[in-house]
Amino acid sequence: MKAAWTIFKREVHSFFVSPMAYVLLTCWLLFCGVVFWILAEYYAGQPMGGGAQDSPLTAFFGGTTLFYLPMLVFVPLVTMRLIAEERNRGTLEVLMTAPVSEVSVIVGKYFAALLFWVAMWVPTLLYVWLTSRYGDVDMGAIGTGYLGIFGIGVYYLAIGVLMSAVSPNQIVSAILTFVALAGLFVVGLGQYVFGDEYRELFAYLSIWGHMEAFSRGVVDTRYLTFDVSVAVVTLSLATGALQARRVEG
Amino acid sequence: MIRVDNLTKSYGRHEAVRGLAFEVPQGQVCGFLGPNGAGKSTTLRMITGFLSPTTGTIHISGVDALAKPIEARRHIGYMPEACPLYPEMRVGEYLRYRAELKGVPRASIAARVKQSLAQAAVADVEHRIIDQLSKGYRQRVGLADALVADPPLLVLDEPTAGLDPNQIRQVRTLIGELAKNKTVLISTHILPEVEAICDRVLILSKGKMVSDGRPTSLRDALRSQETLRIVGRGSKGAFEDVFAKLDDIHVVKLTWRDGLVTGLLEATGEPDASERVFSAVAEAGLTLRELSRQQASLEDVFTNLTTSEPEAPAARGDEEEE
Repeated sequence: MKAAWTIFKREVHSFFVSPMAYVLLTCWLLFCGVVFWILAEYYAGQPMGGGAQDSPLTAFFGGTTLFYLPMLVFVPLVTMRLIAEERNRGTLEVLMTAPVSEVSVIVGKYFAALLFWVAMWVPTLLYVWLTSRYGDVDMGAIGTGYLGIFGIGVYYLAIGVLMSAVSPNQIVSAILTFVALAGLFVVGLGQYVFGDEYRELFAYLSIWGHMEAFSRGVVDTRYLTFDVSVAVVTLSLATGALQARRVEG
Repeated sequence: MIRVDNLTKSYGRHEAVRGLAFEVPQGQVCGFLGPNGAGKSTTLRMITGFLSPTTGTIHISGVDALAKPIEARRHIGYMPEACPLYPEMRVGEYLRYRAELKGVPRASIAARVKQSLAQAAVADVEHRIIDQLSKGYRQRVGLADALVADPPLLVLDEPTAGLDPNQIRQVRTLIGELAKNKTVLISTHILPEVEAICDRVLILSKGKMVSDGRPTSLRDALRSQETLRIVGRGSKGAFEDVFAKLDDIHVVKLTWRDGLVTGLLEATGEPDASERVFSAVAEAGLTLRELSRQQASLEDVFTNLTTSEPEAPAARGDEEEE
């Protein structure tokens, strides 16, 4: 696992020396900023009431589709290069002939992506600070909101890593990840459609359901358990995909 | 150092490597020679653990490379064909990363990187971004990477491909230096390279080994098949009669022009065919103006082994000798 740490460091380093990271972060923050501005404008026009429960911040963290749709696009962009790029450039050969196991490659790269995910969200703390200057902010709910976002990262990025491990290049990897995430998102909407006996099943898949609980300040460990389980299963599959490559050539 | 038995690799129905078996002792510089698609890269990739064989066994320094792949890879410094590198990294940065990845103890990383930079003659570009380097430098950075953990075995896949003559000479000199205290397995399709640096050459064709020997013994193998060029005075018919009497001389071409006969002969029997040709011509009262032996070059051996049927008599004889 020492190799995983080495790979993690290189991956983080190469994220941040490439223009890609800055283009992604800039677009992401621009998008978040516009969404927050629209929500703030909307709530400013509403009559007072509801208190901290009903503020632009709660709406920002999962109250609207504006929160989810960019994730479906940005997650594939973060994970697409992880393994597919190595394969495309041929550096996978140098990497996999070093004394490292497939698991450490997958784990190192996954945690690098997770760190980038955190880096994407850190600047949004500014919105919390801004809102807190002009009104009451339920810091507990904000904290759980961020925990929920981290959970979604754990879940979505693992799927991205798997798609990157099975793709010949970055484009295919991005498309596969987008299709998989959009599919899960749409299926997750089933929680609002189907009867009680199936509702729970869909609710787990749905990140909307995730955020509904977390942004109200409720830490639902079932969701976190689900996120971690999905990550473990998909990352094992990704490891298997890398191992299978040796046989297929 | 390397022991390979019954190695086979199939891609679907296509068999890229078929029943390969060889052993490379410590300290040897062994060249893998063969046309493109002969299975050289596939074999090297199996030895380095990038591909797993369909059947067969591989031992590196006594370690079963299929049962303990990670331990086996610790003994190998590998430079793949085309030498892929991370373009966004700086040379020194890259080598430090590779040293750490290969498990070089933290305390000795700086020293190892410095030494490999010097060995591969890339110390002057330590702080440059790999993307901006020329092909020759990149190739040597790949070599520095192979050396950084100081492995006893170097596996280099076409280390001089795509370089200009000067760079090729530099890389060869470098490999010659390294060969003094390492075992080297190198693949190439350039023949003079093998003659220049290898102690031993294995020739692959269509996934099979067709020859195994020293570069010089390979050439000797083809000695018995000499090509003679003659220019003599006389009629074409007279020369034809003389050569018809010699059993082991085969006339490839004979032309007459302005009283001179120019011919190309192939001698398959015993050595010193030129002496027999000379005396036969003299006995017949004809005059020879020129008689020269065309030395079989490694190129001829190579073409012979890889284009004709693999069971060429010359190659077989050589194998028995080993």
